[in-house]
Parts: sequence; C-alpha cells; structure tokens
Amino acid sequence: MNYLNPRVAETAELLKERLSSISDKTAVLRSIELKALFDELKTMPKDQRAGFGQELNQLRQELSELINLQQDHQVIEPIDITAPFDINVASATMAQFLPSDLGTIHPLMKELNLILDIFYRMGFTAVESREIDDEFHMFSSLNFPADHPARDDYDTFITVQTDQNGYNLIAPAHTSTMQNRVLVEYKANLSMGLPIAAVIPGRVFRNEDLDARHEHTFYQLEGVYVDQNINAGHLIATLKTFLQQYYAKELEVKTQPCYFPFTEPSFEFVLSCPFCDKQGCHICSQTGWIELLGCGMIHPNVLNKAGIDPRLYTGFAWGGGIDRLVMMKYNIEDVRYFESARLDFLRQFI
Amino acid sequence: MKFSLNIIRELNTKYKSLADNLDFDIVNLSQKIGAQLGAIEEIIDLGKKYDHIVIAKVIASDKHPDADRLHVCLIDDGGVVKDVLRNEEGLVQVVCGAPNVRPDLVVAWLPPGSIVPETIDKQPLKLEAKEIRGVVSNGMLASPKELGIGDNHDGILEIDGEHAAGEDFATAFAVRDDKLIDVENKMFTHRPDCFGFLGIARELAGISQVKYTSPDWYKLTPVAPKVERTPRPFNIINDLPDLVPRFCAISLSDIEIKPSPVWLQLNLAKVGVRPINNLVDLTNWLMLETGQPLHAYDYDKLKALSSGDVPTIMVRRANQDETLLLLNGKTLKLRQGDIVIASDQKAIGLGGIMGGAETEVDASTKNVVIECATFDMYAIRRSSMDHGLFSDAATRFTKGQSPLQNPAVILQMVKQVQSLVGGKVASELIDNCHLDKTSLSRGSLHPPVTLEAQFINLRLGLQLTATQIKQLLENVEFKVELKGDSLSCEAPFWRTDIELPEDIVEEVGRLYGYDKLPLKLPSRDLQPASKNALVEAKNSLRLSLSRLGANEVLTYSFVDGALLDKVGQDKAKAYEVANALRPELQYYRMSLMPSLLDKVHTNIKAGYNSFALFELAKLHEVTATDETGLPLETEVIGFIVAKADKLNDQTSPYFLAKRYLSTLTKAELDFKALDETAQSLTAISPYEPSRSAMVYSKSNNQLLGIVGEFKTSVRKQLKLPRFTAGFELDLNNLAALISQPLNYQALSRFPKVVQDMSFQVDTNMNYQTLVDALNQSIDHYKPDDTLFQLSPKDIYQGDDKQHKSITLSLSMLSHHRTLTDQEVNSVLDKVAKELKSSIDAQRR
Repeated sequence: MNYLNPRVAETAELLKERLSSISDKTAVLRSIELKALFDELKTMPKDQRAGFGQELNQLRQELSELINLQQDHQVIEPIDITAPFDINVASATMAQFLPSDLGTIHPLMKELNLILDIFYRMGFTAVESREIDDEFHMFSSLNFPADHPARDDYDTFITVQTDQNGYNLIAPAHTSTMQNRVLVEYKANLSMGLPIAAVIPGRVFRNEDLDARHEHTFYQLEGVYVDQNINAGHLIATLKTFLQQYYAKELEVKTQPCYFPFTEPSFEFVLSCPFCDKQGCHICSQTGWIELLGCGMIHPNVLNKAGIDPRLYTGFAWGGGIDRLVMMKYNIEDVRYFESARLDFLRQFI
Repeated sequence: MKFSLNIIRELNTKYKSLADNLDFDIVNLSQKIGAQLGAIEEIIDLGKKYDHIVIAKVIASDKHPDADRLHVCLIDDGGVVKDVLRNEEGLVQVVCGAPNVRPDLVVAWLPPGSIVPETIDKQPLKLEAKEIRGVVSNGMLASPKELGIGDNHDGILEIDGEHAAGEDFATAFAVRDDKLIDVENKMFTHRPDCFGFLGIARELAGISQVKYTSPDWYKLTPVAPKVERTPRPFNIINDLPDLVPRFCAISLSDIEIKPSPVWLQLNLAKVGVRPINNLVDLTNWLMLETGQPLHAYDYDKLKALSSGDVPTIMVRRANQDETLLLLNGKTLKLRQGDIVIASDQKAIGLGGIMGGAETEVDASTKNVVIECATFDMYAIRRSSMDHGLFSDAATRFTKGQSPLQNPAVILQMVKQVQSLVGGKVASELIDNCHLDKTSLSRGSLHPPVTLEAQFINLRLGLQLTATQIKQLLENVEFKVELKGDSLSCEAPFWRTDIELPEDIVEEVGRLYGYDKLPLKLPSRDLQPASKNALVEAKNSLRLSLSRLGANEVLTYSFVDGALLDKVGQDKAKAYEVANALRPELQYYRMSLMPSLLDKVHTNIKAGYNSFALFELAKLHEVTATDETGLPLETEVIGFIVAKADKLNDQTSPYFLAKRYLSTLTKAELDFKALDETAQSLTAISPYEPSRSAMVYSKSNNQLLGIVGEFKTSVRKQLKLPRFTAGFELDLNNLAALISQPLNYQALSRFPKVVQDMSFQVDTNMNYQTLVDALNQSIDHYKPDDTLFQLSPKDIYQGDDKQHKSITLSLSMLSHHRTLTDQEVNSVLDKVAKELKSSIDAQRR
C-alpha cells in the first residue's frame, strides 16, 4: 500500500518492520507512533483532516490484516483429520460428549413444534418462510398499492441490493410474505376437491428499537385455508379450536374489526386470558382478554394474484407471534433473551 | 381517532340524525365499538378533570393593597360551594392577577379543594384558601391554559352565553358525564370518513342497527351564497390537477378575530385540538366534524405577497432551493416532490399538511380566503414523512378524503363564520375541479356494486334476506336497489373504500355484528396433512444434538461488518441492509459460524466452562440466486463446542466436533483436507486449514460442509479458548442422508469373535488409509458366510517419531455356524501380509 502523506508512509514502514521482530504482534496497533498520528488528526485543519484520516484508517486496516496473516502463518501442528482421536490419548478420555442433561432445544422451536403438531392434526401442512424477499411478495401480491400508507405500519429492513424490478430486497416483516407462494403451490388441491391448508412458521424482521418488549427479529406463524364456501365463522372457529387445544381448556374468543390490505374483512383476534380465566392478571394487563393475532378473509385480489378465482373459492388467513406465546407461558420478562444465546437462559428449558 | 360521546350526542340532536334512540351506556357502547368498529385504545372520563369547578360572576374587583398587578375580587357563586369563607353578602374573596378581570365578568372559579385541570395528568395541584401578600384568596379564577383548553395564559377565561352564577362548569359545558373514546387510527386506514364526528356518529348508529341521516348541508348539493359586499377577488391556478383534483376557495371580508365561544374551545380541547381564534377554530371544528381539513389565509397578507391587484393562489410543485416559513415557526427547506400552495411570487403553505406563517390569520386579520381542497394521499404521505411533519390535516389526507365533499364543507364553513364570527361573502365560490364527470354526476366515487344476498351469506355463514341487508346498508346511507335477491349498492359520496362485492360483505358483516356469526369448523375429508420433511429433519437433528448435551441457540440473521472482517469474509458478497439502525444489523450472514463464535466468549465469561451450541439457519450470498431470481436461501446446521482454557484440556477439539457430527447421520462420511474448492467457500474462512476437514457423504461424494478448529487470528479476535471447534453442514444434503432407510443387520444365533490388532504405519499415513485397506482386505479373505466390523481402540506413538501404531478391534460373525479364533487369525494373517506389501503396515 502506498501512502501519499510522507509521515503516514514513514510510520507504516517503521511499524511493518517492527511487526516481524516482535512476538506480541498486536502491540503495533497500540504503538505510540500510531497514537501520535491519530492525536495529530484531532488538531488538524478541516480541509486536510479527511484525507489524512482516511490514510490513517487504511494504515490501521493494513496492519490488522498483516497481523492476522502472520498469526495464521505460524506453523500449527497438523492433525490426522480422518482419525477418530488424537495420538497418545486414551480413547476413554478422548472426545467425550457433554452430559446429556445439559442439552436443550430452543424454547421458541420447542413451542413451534407443539403448535405445528396441533395444526398437523387439524389437517394443515407446514411451509417455512423466507428471510429475504422481494417487494412483490411482501406488498404487491398482498394488495398493498404502491406507496400505500399501510406499508408504513411495517418498519421493514431493506437491502442495498435490488430485485429484478429494481426494488430493494426486503427482510420480511410478516410471514404473509409467503401467502402468494403457498396459494400457488397448493392451488392444484382445489381442483381435486381438497382445501389449501397450510401453516407457515418463520422468522420476521422489524426495524425498530430494542427493549424488553421489542425485538427486531422474531417468529410468526401464518395460516392459510382456502376452499369452496369458506366463511368468517370458519376462521373464528378454527382459531378457537386451535387455542383450546394449545391451552387445553375452554376459552372465549372475540374479534375486533381491523384493517389489513390483504384481508377483507380483517380482524384482530382476542381470547379470554387462559392464565387467569378472565379474572385479570399481569399477563392480560388486568383486562381478562389478550389481543393475540390479526386475521381475516383472504382479499379477492390476493386470490386473483395467485390465479385462484375468488368467485369460486374463498378462504381465510391469520398471522401471530410465537415469541409472545412463549413469553406468556413461562413469564419471560425480556424478549431479547431469545436471540441472546445465553446459556443462563437456554439451559432452563430442559 | 378521538371523539367525545357528548359531542356525538349533541350533533345527533342538532341534526336530528337518528331514526331511533341509541344506547350510549359506556359499557355496552365500548363493547360494541370494539366488536364492530375497531379496537379502543383508551376511554377517558373527561368530567373528572373539571370536578368542583363553578361558574361565578365577578361583583367587585379592586386593586390589591400590596401588589400592583393583583386584584382582590369578590365573586358570586350563588352560594353553592360549601366550607368557604364568605362576607356578609355571601360573596367570596379571590385574588386574581389577570389583566382582564373586571366586574360583571362571568368566570370559571376553582374553589379551595379543587384541582387545577391543567395539572391533573402531571402533578395534580390542589388549591386551598391561602394568603397572597396578606390577602386571603379562596382558590383562583382560571385562565384557559389552567383549564387545559389551549395555551392562552394572558388572562382569565371569559365565559360567554347565558350562564348563571353557581352553575357547575362541567355540566354547563357538557363535560360532566362525558367520555373520550380513542379508537386506534390503524383501524381506519381505509375509512377517511371515520376521521370526522359525522362519520363516527353514522357508524355508531349503523352498528346499533339504527338509521342515520346526515345533515342537509352535508348531503344535499349546496347553493353558493351571493357576494355580499366589497368583493375581494383572487385567482386560482392549479398546475397539479392529478395530485389536487379539487380546490375550492372563497373569500370573506369584515371578519372580527377574537377568542371562540367557550363551548367551541372546550369541544376542541376535549379531543386535543388547541383553540387559537374564532376563525381558525372554526376551520378545525369543521375538520373534526367532517374529516375534511380546511385552511384560512389572511387575504391582505396574500395580496401583499402577490404581484398584481388581484392576489393569486397557485398549486404547484416546490421549486429548487425554495423555503417556507411554517405556522409552527420552523423554516422548511422544500423538496421538489412537495405540493406547494403559493402566491405568484412565493410559497405560502405546504399543501394539505401545514400553512405558512406569512399568511397566518391573526388578531389583525380583516379579510380571509378559505381553502377546502383534496390532495393526493400518496404525495401527502411522502412529504409528511420526508419532512417529519405530522399534522391533523396530514393524518386525514393520507387516508384519501373524498373530493365530493369539498363544496358542502366550505359552504358550511361560510355559514358558520357568518353566524359565529361575522363577515361577508366577498367572492364567488371558486371550484377548481378535475374530477371525472361520471362520479360527479353520480355523486359516488365508484359505480354501484351488484351482488346476490347469497354471495354475502356464503362468506359470513349467515342467512340474511336481501331486505335485511338492504336495511343494514341504508342505515349508513347506502343507496340500495333490490331486484329479487340481487342488490345494487351505491356507496355514499364520502366512502372511498367500496369497490368490490367483498367490500359489501365486510360492511354487512360489521354492521350486523361479527360476534353473532355462527362458529363452525370447515368440513374436510380424512386425507391426512403431509408433514414438511425438512422441518421434521431439523427436529430430529435438534433431538440428536440436545440429547448429547448441546444447547440450541438462535442468533440474528444479520451480522456486524466488523465480525465479517474478523473472520475474513468478503462484505461485498453479503446482502447489505440499507436502513439498519445498529451496526450489528449491517449484513445478512453468509455463513453461520461467525454468529456462533461470537457467542462463545460471553458464555465463558458467564461461568460456563464446557458447552456446545448449535443453530439451524438460513444463509444468503449475493452471488447465488434461485430459479425465481430471488437470493438463494441455503439452510445449514452449525455447531460449536468449547472448553474454557482453565480446564486445560490438551486434546484436539477437532475430534470432539467430529464425533458430534458423526452422530447426525448413519451414512458413511469422508473427511478430506481443505483443497482448492474449499478455498472458494465463504464458510471456510474462520477455519485453520491444518486442523479442519471437508465433509463428504461417501455414497455419492457430495460435499456436506466443514468441520474443524479455528485460525489463530480468529481465536484471538473473538477471545475463543484454545479448545474450540465446530462444524457447519448443508441441511438439505444432510436431511437427504438422514431420511435414508436404516440398514438393519439380522442378529446371529452364533457368538461373534472379537480380536484386537495393531499396525505400525508411517506417521504421515492417514488413519483412514489403513482402515480402508483393512476393510478391503478383510472383505477379500473372510469366509463367504461371515460379516465383520472394525472399531478404533488406540493410536500410539513412542520414541520413534517416524511411525505410529494404530489399534483396532475386529468383530466377526456368521449366521450359520460358530466361528473359531483360528479361522479369524488365519484371515488376519493373510490381511497382515497384504497390508505389509500394499501400504507398508506392520502388524505387531
């Protein structure tokens, strides 16, 4: 690397030379010479600062790379990768598994399996959701007009890279991003007289600030059911049946009208608190009711986009968070633990 | 959207809107709203705020003996307040600092014991009788600000109208039993009409199955008033007919600006709108009533900003580098997409969002131009977001207000101004209208929707008759024509959302009550649902690893650029998040191992000395797309095992990672040194080449992934203990191996022979080379009816560093007879001879 500034070039020379002679390579990054240059930067006139600063950063980067390279070039004793264990180590003490009672499955995945199991029994198949998607599946296929304010309700992450139509790719903010694919994939069911019945678990993303109740990454489960003569009563009954199985008790449910572009009518689904039986507790904020998920009858435009004739077939869809179910179940106080990989947290879920 | 029940009630009475009584009991009504209109955010008891406040009349107001600006007042409260000190005439003494206090003024008195309304939601200030500069003041006379109705603190509130001393303030202004209901705005994304009280009143009637009739001024084609006096003409030039399809305006002269009557101020304050002056308050009130925002410009200021004698109002795009001083005092650097209202000289308002300060209506204003227009919801949304400006007008315009209501609303404004403010009509009503003729003449934005009652019933699971449906819709002023079972439904002009038969289904379901739908599961045949094979494979992997003491983790799909640098992965190959708020969300991960490595140190610091973590994840890299052109999504399983340095385990962690890996599949695997192909894989970067292997499935030579230890640089930067190793395997390929049927061996009735054997080989020879040669050779020399199996026992090296000794255990059996040791030994002798010559392995 060539540095335009003579002082940077000189220091680069000096430090590179030193690098080959000392054993603690990272010491050059903490050297007084480098620090002196960075100190100088602070007092430098504005017009020179940018160029100088850039060179300094380049130098630091170059040194780091050199250190990595030299560290990795130190000869490391190779091993026989085809062997079952080391030389001269008794096989009995070699490569022992950890105690089995320490092992755990992630609580979200465990819960998801419980949920999937109920839906399998109710006749739903499962399709996993994508983690990067395009504008069509996230919005257009779901009847969101371009620039529609409803798009603002989803603080989506977008990528610098674009799709074939020039739209930024999107980190899906809901599992509904899979609706069109599932409808297309299972469309053939309808002509055979079978329903489309699928649940779609997956990871979704919202670009929002983190706190104990908000995560930018969480899990949802979407459900889709399409057949002839499907009505809103079927939707409510299906969700109620699932929830009664899940909580293993009788529950009351109610719906609140809501607006989603991809369902008409749309509802917010509310169930009587299974933890206090409507007496009021901290989980339901003393109201006796829990707002659980959004749902509705699939909008005819969504069916049309998947090549299903909305005059012949109707259906319903819903989507809800998994994290919240698990938090309520175990009284977990902070949603951020789920993706923390902290053993303090994970090893409790034996 | 906030509304007060009393305002709705008053409007219903004033306009004689209801055909029948409505149940306004708050419990019943809030349940109904929740079930049929939208989720209620909160219900506020407005009356509480004004507890104990009494309307009083100032009888005398004398200068305070010891303070220039204070007055000592005697007030008449009709004797209603108990426990208060009175003079012999029954009057109460209050000290007041307001310049406008004077005899005969009717005021709001906060007696001792009452709480200042302004403070009720913060730190409630409870009043008492106390001395102010030596004179006892029994409570206080309140300013509008202290009453929580606006910012005005220049003087006390002057109560107008017929109010007697001693009246309860809250009762007099209909706040006593009033409730504020706040329904979540997102429920009304498609319902601009519900951002007005008329819309809410209509819905409340509709969901209660009561017929509602809008007031004539709103519903009937209004007749423009005659120009009364001294014309104040102006021109409108609309450059943006697509974005501003309708722009109505009219000028009024001889306006007297002053505070609004108290009832209006209070009504505005109830829903959180700040009273300003009578004219501005009326524009806001009309907006609250109808959902249609209005704006008033000072005519004379506008004229001063225009070139000719006749002022011009232009609707245009913002010019480059144009700025605008807003009503809120901020100077806005306009963007070229903004819709600007301007004179022919300069911008005077950000269309549909906020007016400009230079044409503000203030105390000196005599003549005004009133604007009532429709702005494109998308353009308003973009400007509002770009500038971070969120006004009541913008909230309403971004829902797409109906342009068909513009003339009615502006003419009602004129009427209201005339009756409340005074003023004369000083121009024609200018209606700059670019709507298509059909919707104008039809009086509805979309053509009527025709459908069968059956269509609705099938989708709701109901059995409503066409007549019942007709009634439900007519209650909210749809025009419905019946032809047998077929209904032709024309939405009223304020409804923007009724286009499809399904929209009518929604309307009918909601008005009828979704809570009354019959609940029934869909019927289906016994065809079982098929399970998702990959989901099942993942579950079996989870079980395998967790049974062996490993912990499943979930980590973010995104990684920090700095982490990629540490493991030497090329950021240019990663999908980059354009709007990440935090550095750790910068890139989509291209391999799973960095995320896992990143979690080792924190767990060791937390006191865990020995652990294994695994995760199942989806990965993306810009170089690979799938058959639909989307980023290819590869699924992997990643695993890492680590032991803290203080455990001083000197063995190679590679072998433990490999052992875990080997439990995942019964299929035979090949472990090969990293080669050229390996170097091109992003996932390879953190691994130390001399202690890592590529993993292949033996049967089809398919690459499954990598297992190994990590480079010194990676270990140092991520603070990994020496004993750290892991693997990352392709899930789809692995799942295919898992799903292969188990190769069961029938049990033999005869005992097996087990024999240990050791071979001395060159140090550099692979263990696998010996095992492969052994397998081949034993298979060749063993009796035909036998089966055998090899398992490793020991690898030993003494002082002779040229050689190592590998000990294996051979077990052999037959299904037909008892094998003898001699038989096995004779096989081994032949094998030993062959191996000596083929690979120079010396049996010991």
